Amino acid sequence: MAITEQYTSSECLICERTNPPGAMLCSACGAPMSLIEEAAIQQRSPRIITILGESNVGKTVYLGFLLDMLSKRAGGFEAIPKGAYSVNLQQSVISHMNARQFPPKTPLEVDHWKWAYYQVRHYDAHADEWFDLLLPDMAGEALAQEIETPQTYKAITGLLAKSAGALVLIDAAVAASGSPHPDYFALKLMSYVDRQFATKRGGKARNPIAIVLCKADYCPECFDNPRAFAETNLNRLWNICQSRFANVEFFAASTVGSLGFAHDEDDNVVPVPLHAAPRGILEPFEWILDRIRAMPAK
Amino acid sequence: MALRLFQRKPHTRGPVSGGVRTAQAFVPAPVEKLASDPLHALCQQERYNVIIQRRREWAEHPDGERLCREAAVRLESRMALVPAGRVTLAQTVVDAPGAPEVDVEVEPFLLDIHAVTNAQYQRFVDAGAYEDFDLWPRAIWPHLIHMRDQTGKPGPRYWRDGRHDQKLAMHPVVGISWYEAAAYARWIGQRLPTEAEWQMAATWRIKSETDLLRRFPWGDAMDRTRCNIWASGIGHTVPVDAYPEGAAPNGVLQLVGNVWEWVDGDLNLTTTEGKPIVAEMDIKATRGGAFDTYFESQATGLFRTGHIALARLHNIGFRCALSIGDAPWLREAV
Repeated sequence: MAITEQYTSSECLICERTNPPGAMLCSACGAPMSLIEEAAIQQRSPRIITILGESNVGKTVYLGFLLDMLSKRAGGFEAIPKGAYSVNLQQSVISHMNARQFPPKTPLEVDHWKWAYYQVRHYDAHADEWFDLLLPDMAGEALAQEIETPQTYKAITGLLAKSAGALVLIDAAVAASGSPHPDYFALKLMSYVDRQFATKRGGKARNPIAIVLCKADYCPECFDNPRAFAETNLNRLWNICQSRFANVEFFAASTVGSLGFAHDEDDNVVPVPLHAAPRGILEPFEWILDRIRAMPAK
Repeated sequence: MALRLFQRKPHTRGPVSGGVRTAQAFVPAPVEKLASDPLHALCQQERYNVIIQRRREWAEHPDGERLCREAAVRLESRMALVPAGRVTLAQTVVDAPGAPEVDVEVEPFLLDIHAVTNAQYQRFVDAGAYEDFDLWPRAIWPHLIHMRDQTGKPGPRYWRDGRHDQKLAMHPVVGISWYEAAAYARWIGQRLPTEAEWQMAATWRIKSETDLLRRFPWGDAMDRTRCNIWASGIGHTVPVDAYPEGAAPNGVLQLVGNVWEWVDGDLNLTTTEGKPIVAEMDIKATRGGAFDTYFESQATGLFRTGHIALARLHNIGFRCALSIGDAPWLREAV
């Protein structure tokens, strides 16, 4: 079905459910219908890059800095937000971090997630191609539920089914401390992604996947050699990536330059980002875009 | 002896290495042969204030008087006088109008014009300073074994085989903890500036009838062409003599940008509710922002932050200071 027909029939871009005209959100998956409007204006379906990761791994902050850097034309990128709603996420992240606070947790409800629709171009000598990118900021708890019980969140299922690639965020600081938890979560997550991406039994998934080792400022050796860090500290993840994914790379990233802690009004210990020093934010995105460039648009 | 106070020495902007630095091959700095004569060795190591402090030892030395005089000239040329003044230190993480602040009086002192370079720090490493326990507080002795470079040799985190990359000889040394910075300062007969002193040097709130200060060494508005921060688009350190347009009135360079600078003192900030900011170990104050500082509001002469004392990061360096009382050559000059 042509994208313009999809718009008139209000078919959701994510889960393909037909919605009544004038609907704001998809009745099945909760994705905003304004995405379809944007896609119709562009006369092409956007390529979706999904950002996956556990709760508190820093998906929102990573995505906020990524979008902000893109809109500042960092790293030879040019990015244009399509619609004011696309700017809300980066505005929220940057405003909070500038005030030395982390942004609020992404709500569990799909209709409260922030979505960013950007046109992005990397103006290097080899390419002058614009990408329509859809970058949703999903709640980590929702992803965890979806992994345990697939189809709980149709938005996630639909997103992954339509994704050209994925950025998988892993908490390197917790992994470096010796906890097996990030490795187990990553193993479950990659098993789930494998099921969504794999084309046939025995075949490796070809969609590019960038494994981003977050909070790497806590373990600087992660920046020295992300692959070696993953093989040592996230061995289960490393093994499934080698076995099941043909197009995977490891990166280290951090956004906070220094972290303190304080008690809040309810005497809970809360982290305080003393200042921001984003590092390794663009590299995984650039890598994944290069890989997607070689793939035909869906 | 002319003191560098309001005069600005013309600087030539140092070469800014382009491209991605990690893609370039590591070129180990050559080993410098040290003179057997202790006074000449101190000169080679640029430990000028040590030479002056120990000048009675050189009374019989044939070059003693000349080298002491030369050491004073060299020291005077690499440091600048920061006048007496008053600084206001924010006490909360969000320094909003009306938030608690503390006023601190600052005595005049001398501050290095440049951050300590890799080439300068190389002499400290070559002198075996990591094995000289007198330079280190006893509490840090068990941690000295971890203060190694990429190849396991004593030295800054990003060096190899105890050598810095020759291409980065004039870049600020990074990958050193607060303790390494303090030990180096002690080794050359100087000290780290206090947080108040650093802020005084960057904001110039001198004692006068008018209560004037500047947010940046060059004035009151951020200018990304005068410093190396994230928005400058360079993405790594530059030589310590780059950005002459960003100098303070006394010629001190790069107080804002390029690398955060370790200063002497713990970071004592609270939340707006007055709850102290803590970490798993002591947080030492760092000032000035670095090449990767994203928010311009966090790269000013007033912004207070810190890092844990053992952090050996790619974006923290330091510079040294000297009290007027510890600079007899300066007292004589004054």
